[in-house]
Amino acid sequence: MNDHPMLDDIALYALGVLPAKRAASDDPNAVCAETVRAHLATCAICRKEYADLGPAANLIGLAAEAPADDAARDRIKARIMAQVRRESVVPLRRPERRGGTTRSVVWPAYLVAAACFVFALISTISNLALVGQLRDVKTQLAQTQAHSSSLARNLADERTTLADVMDANAKHYAITDGEVITRGRRIYVALHDLPEPPRGHVYQAWTLPKDAKAMKPSVTFVPDARGLAVIALPVDAHATDAVAVSVEPDGGSKAPTTKPLFVVPLS
Amino acid sequence: MSEDAARLMGRVRERDSDAFEALYDTHYRLVRGVALRMLGDAAAADDVTQTVFLKVWTAPELFRTGNFAAWIVRVTRNRALDVLRSRAQQGACELPESLPELDGIEDVALARIDAAQVRSALADLPAEQREPIELGFFGGITHEEMARRSGIPLGTIKTRIRSGLRRLRSALDTAVRA
Ligand SMILES: [Zn+2]
Repeated sequence: MNDHPMLDDIALYALGVLPAKRAASDDPNAVCAETVRAHLATCAICRKEYADLGPAANLIGLAAEAPADDAARDRIKARIMAQVRRESVVPLRRPERRGGTTRSVVWPAYLVAAACFVFALISTISNLALVGQLRDVKTQLAQTQAHSSSLARNLADERTTLADVMDANAKHYAITDGEVITRGRRIYVALHDLPEPPRGHVYQAWTLPKDAKAMKPSVTFVPDARGLAVIALPVDAHATDAVAVSVEPDGGSKAPTTKPLFVVPLS
Repeated sequence: MSEDAARLMGRVRERDSDAFEALYDTHYRLVRGVALRMLGDAAAADDVTQTVFLKVWTAPELFRTGNFAAWIVRVTRNRALDVLRSRAQQGACELPESLPELDGIEDVALARIDAAQVRSALADLPAEQREPIELGFFGGITHEEMARRSGIPLGTIKTRIRSGLRRLRSALDTAVRA
């Protein structure tokens, strides 16, 4: 069977059971998806094997097809179609803000759907049926706008954020009550169920540049009324080893003054 | 079926919600079934189903050509893996990030295979091959974790997975020709 040393690993790769990458501490000879991909680019024997096994592996999921369930079909469909059946442009009113003015904004349909997707993603992660409760897209986006400043700041930023978070190639690092997401060179922190910081305090993100010994201060933020925050970090993901968030006095700190809520190493 | 789905996806790209609804009707059982098998709870499976179809609607360009069912299973598996990872509450996780990119190796011969044929081909595998394959695909664990849990040597697991996939491939080829 071992006519070529890599062939068993090709099967593992086709099945999707290889770790994406290896940690630096692992056996340097241990194989991962990244090394297999690199090998495939150079080896015709393994490409042939992958072309045989890949499509078969990819069909295994079909075996799990559930029996017809009209109630489930209609229930989930109602949640989805409420968000899909929208005009091409949805006019929305910005909700009242503390001491602020009210103005109308126009959201293109794809952004409406994309914002819904982000909420669906977050609700899936938190295992809450959040989206099920958000039946009306206007209400939903009003909440998005009122509460998630990074989503509401401007359309161009939103478009990038949403596209990145939805992208199949984005990497998701799970943390308690949220995720750190990288897509290419960009980094996002998405948190839910985040309590309001104590009076006079904010949350502050920290990044650890590659080869650095100390965390560098990044943006400060507060969660929305429901405890939601989606933050884009203004650093290069490729040059960053870790991301953390801590509670800091208003205006932020030069170095963390409290124990971080989490520290996520980026692989 | 996959031909129809590919055509419907073309209409979804043009923001045709009727086409999207038709795709949902023909594929929700598959998406929900995979999510249910991986997550073991109906509410989580419903959430993943919703997430996956919203992704189909918001980013239809991610599907290019080939077997739509296989593609949507891959998307579903990745979302369910995210949920499994978040349950494990670990920052550095050993789970594979995604199924490999299969673009370019989609196999037209297998484009028309259906769930019953896959189920039957899997059922015909010897248990020692079927079990690690199903555990890897639906359990979202690495071959190393399988070896740790079962006490079976890593090399044996690897060989069984490869032999099982080869056998599955040939069973599927036979099913298509029959
Ligand atoms: Zn090779």
